[in-house]
Amino acid sequence: VGPQGSSPPVPSLFPPLTVTSEQIEHLHRRFKQLSRDQLTIRKENFDSIPDLEFNPIRGKIVHAFFDKRNLRQESDGLVDEINFEDFLTIMSYFRPIEMNMDEEQLDRFRKEKLKFLFHMYDSDHDGKITVQEYRNVVEELLSGNPHLEKESARSIADGAMMEAASICAGQMGPDQVYEGITFEDFLKMWQGIDIETKMHVRFLNMETIAHCY
Amino acid sequence: SQGIIERDETPMEKEIARLHRVDFEFSDIFYFCRKGFEAIVEDEVTQRFSSEELVSWNLLTRTNVNFHYISLRLTVVWVIGVVVRYCFLLPLRFTLATIGITSMIVGATVVGQLPNSSVKNYLSELVHLTCSRILVRALSGTIHYHNKENKPQKGGICVANHTSPIDAIILTNDGCYAMVGQVHGGLMGVIQRATVKACPHVWFERSEIKDRHLVTKRLREHVADKSKLPILIFPEGTCINNTSVMMFKKGSFEIGGTIYPVAIKYDPQFGDAFWNSSKYNIVSYLLRIMTSWAIVCNVWYLPPMVKKEDEDAVQFANRVRSAIAHQGGLTELPWDGGLKRAKVKDTFKEEQQKNYSKMLVRNGSIG
Repeated sequence: VGPQGSSPPVPSLFPPLTVTSEQIEHLHRRFKQLSRDQLTIRKENFDSIPDLEFNPIRGKIVHAFFDKRNLRQESDGLVDEINFEDFLTIMSYFRPIEMNMDEEQLDRFRKEKLKFLFHMYDSDHDGKITVQEYRNVVEELLSGNPHLEKESARSIADGAMMEAASICAGQMGPDQVYEGITFEDFLKMWQGIDIETKMHVRFLNMETIAHCY
Repeated sequence: SQGIIERDETPMEKEIARLHRVDFEFSDIFYFCRKGFEAIVEDEVTQRFSSEELVSWNLLTRTNVNFHYISLRLTVVWVIGVVVRYCFLLPLRFTLATIGITSMIVGATVVGQLPNSSVKNYLSELVHLTCSRILVRALSGTIHYHNKENKPQKGGICVANHTSPIDAIILTNDGCYAMVGQVHGGLMGVIQRATVKACPHVWFERSEIKDRHLVTKRLREHVADKSKLPILIFPEGTCINNTSVMMFKKGSFEIGGTIYPVAIKYDPQFGDAFWNSSKYNIVSYLLRIMTSWAIVCNVWYLPPMVKKEDEDAVQFANRVRSAIAHQGGLTELPWDGGLKRAKVKDTFKEEQQKNYSKMLVRNGSIG
């Protein structure tokens, strides 16, 4: 009898993941590679991915993996390390739409993805995207360009916030101060725009390995 | 290349234009977010530093990462395979290897005593070739050489892609080269000291390697002497898993002279030749090689190349690399093999940021 390969523990996730066991095996191998055969990953482990270095919002993406809100934990803040189950939980935000989903599932799906994005912007975890937080994101995206001054980045951010404010709180009185974009407002902004197909990572169909019987 | 995720290759400009309702938008973050996730699930570079996976199993457990029990018949066949490999092939190969190495040391020392003459050169070549052939037999190597008319000539530099330490033996099986490398201790050191008496190999002390100019100078002197054997260099600097060719270090291409590129492609069906130095040391590596079925590879000699007037060393290196990758059926990656151990430079990240902001300025969203 040949030796058994170590199969990863398949966690129970809500909502349930409909990926194949092969895909989970691949992700598990990737996890082991990133964690250098440890059981958990820390922020430093993401430094070993050269392609990720290209990305201007790398910090926010890595941060998202350790954000307790994304890991569906009750409390707030960041964790220090994540195990494979948490890794899969974060990955599940990026699964593609399946054909057999009904209206309710699609709607929940969409909300999940938008919530993930919302958490990326809302860095102080207070449930609102303020002008300052938005400016941070714009600056990160543009910081590599030496010709672009901070002022320009700021004006872009302010312009976009005003646009958002007009959509969400058009009925505001003249003496009301716009505090920030809440999640409901965020959802409103995205109505009618198809984001599900933009925010997914699709696995290729694996070829079956030839068995001999 | 065999990837596991489907990548959307639309360029950044198109993708962001599609997402836009107005100018800079919350949506721009989508593109970078997705790219980031794709990189986390799978990146082009890290997969080159682990062995290639086979589609169908070749009865070596080491090549099947997801090994699990399939059927009794297969297991029996596998057990017979193990017995054959470890009890029959291994001792045979080990004996041959010992004979090969001993004759190399003894032969080279003996020839080294002779005064410099054409007889000495002839005998030295004979010794090197014979011992190489014995060593290749010791690994059960089956090598097909193509385009032998392009074989490296004296006074030239031979450049090849690097997969394992036995690359050098594969090439010396068919011709004589002057090796370039660092002086080692132990058995390797003994071989180095013996062979350098018979034939002008270029061995550097560890301290000398740090001084790039010294290295270049010595190599230049060697190349300038047209009666000396061609030098053998592996410009990637480290072992790659034979599915791609990584960045060539430009130092080899600054020496001048004619470059003779050689492409080496191993057939993974019979045995995995890739040395993953972070996972295995040299002894376990050699053990694995000697208990594989065979080492089967193709060697293509490519037509000689020289540096053109208007190109610099880096462009020349890339040109040679393309030729090798094209011939061997390997993909080309612009990354440095040193990434096996080091981090990416910040300049790359800044590049992407610059591109993105240039795009915004063009779209007129900034005053």
